[in-house]
Amino acid sequence: MDDILLDVQGLTHCYRLDRRRTLRAVDDVSFQMHRGEIFGLVGESGSGKSTVARCVMSILHPTAGKIRYLGVNICDPGQFKSHRELLQTSRQMIFQDSTSSLDPRMTVEEIIAEPLVIHRVRSPRGSLRAEAEFQLKCVGMDPGCLDRYPGELSGGQRQRVAIARALSMGPELLVADEPIASLDVSIQAQIINLFKHLQREHGFTFLFIAHDLAVVRYLCDRVGVMFQGKLVEVGPAQEVFARPQHPYTQALLSAIPIPDPRRERARVVQSFDAKQFHREGALYEVSPGHLVLGEGGGV
Amino acid sequence: MDERFVLVGPRTPLPPPAKKRAWYEGKPLLSMAVLVMIILGCSGCELFIPRDPAYMDLFHASEAPGAAFWFGTDTMGRDIFSMIWYGGRVSLLIGFLATAISTVLAVLFGAVSGLAPRWLDDLLMRLTEIFLSIPSLLLVVLLQAILGKASVVSLSVVIGVTSWTSVAKVVRSEVRRLRGSEYVLAARCMGAGFFHILRRHLAPNFFPSIMFMVVMNIRSAIAAESTLSFMGLGLPLEVISWGSMLSLAENALLSGSWWIILIPGTFLVVTLLCVTGVGNWLRGEGDRRESNL
Repeated sequence: MDDILLDVQGLTHCYRLDRRRTLRAVDDVSFQMHRGEIFGLVGESGSGKSTVARCVMSILHPTAGKIRYLGVNICDPGQFKSHRELLQTSRQMIFQDSTSSLDPRMTVEEIIAEPLVIHRVRSPRGSLRAEAEFQLKCVGMDPGCLDRYPGELSGGQRQRVAIARALSMGPELLVADEPIASLDVSIQAQIINLFKHLQREHGFTFLFIAHDLAVVRYLCDRVGVMFQGKLVEVGPAQEVFARPQHPYTQALLSAIPIPDPRRERARVVQSFDAKQFHREGALYEVSPGHLVLGEGGGV
Repeated sequence: MDERFVLVGPRTPLPPPAKKRAWYEGKPLLSMAVLVMIILGCSGCELFIPRDPAYMDLFHASEAPGAAFWFGTDTMGRDIFSMIWYGGRVSLLIGFLATAISTVLAVLFGAVSGLAPRWLDDLLMRLTEIFLSIPSLLLVVLLQAILGKASVVSLSVVIGVTSWTSVAKVVRSEVRRLRGSEYVLAARCMGAGFFHILRRHLAPNFFPSIMFMVVMNIRSAIAAESTLSFMGLGLPLEVISWGSMLSLAENALLSGSWWIILIPGTFLVVTLLCVTGVGNWLRGEGDRRESNL
């Protein structure tokens, strides 16, 4: 049990639309993340992936449920306050759009060193500039960029700077909310490989949110599939991709194009009707570590 | 790692950083120089003005510019050259003081409104709009009546209090826009406190957009002082300012002494043009760092 870094239990979050109506964006979601693994969360847009990420990062306060991080219940204001320093330094986030997640009036150096400045941490490499240069090299960028502004960088470079900023505190948990969705395909491949490489090097635990299934299959150890705020299936990536159990997962996987013209022609895209989706029910285990949402226990 | 994906695209080294621009390039040098000259001249006028600006030499009333009186004298025999520098002091002081008052009011009001919950924000903004809908001249007359006899300070307060609304609206919308931006969110995730966010993220980002308006407010405050004085609502005649000098214009026009209007008018217009030039440059500066993608 001690290798569980993040334990999400019954997470529910409702957005207030107006005085009467609320939107249940995340509904009773439970999953665990083990230390050092890459956990992928997939689902169509509006399925609540980002809301889960924001709850995990304490940007949003869940309506119900518990999130335990390193044994600290981060939904509890008292516990949050007493572990504030730990929570704020060891969890870092990467946003989807690097254009808006980097302050246009700060240089790359200032951006990367910002977490260190906030927590008044002395850099192990002497000056803040040396630290920023080191982190920039880690993400494969030229140190000549240190004095540039985000507006002078390309999209891929900006996302690298955002990654360097997240890594500068040496985080334990990295949450990336669709970090590659706003990049073009060749840059996506670079960033994905960078993540893989960095994860191997630093050994952080990584919550990766995406809607691109091929990327998740390539990068992640375990996958969770979300639909309309529910977690419908969770399990080891190989297992889920080879033997999808939930009808929604099956439909989702059948939509992946196959890079082989003959098989691609024969591919049948299944459709999933939201009306036949049973919201009630609990996750039950079909094979070790592979859980599916269903009624009762039978398929 | 899969070699097919490692690095795509040409591997060109970064171009050398662009040559630093010389300090004078792209700056409104003429405006700045003239403005500095006027400000220095006004603040140090005791050193070089030939006569007491308030002394009425009735033997030489309404004299045209010449060797004795470089800019001529007004209908009461005061030396216009001395009055220009001495009066410019009052005009500029009112300009800066009124702008300082209005900027402080605007930033406070705007920031509170931008960070406040919805209902308070609505309330404050409706108040601003009500304030904005009252003709400012009416408001000035009213305030001046409440404050009593006009002085430099009371006039600055009146002009300042009536000119903060537009800046406040800009500050408020900027703070609202920035408050939800992802880099503020990211900073908050990293554990940044309110003051860190205000200093590092909010202020640098909203300052350029109000900078231009603030500089323009100096201009309109100086213009407002002359307008009010010209209409007899501002400073009394014995307090010398560019505005009160212009208020002698009607008499001057009747007697054909052009210099009484033209010379203070020229100084006023030149100052306003210089301030506008500097303001325009600041606005360009503010946009320079924005994304060019």
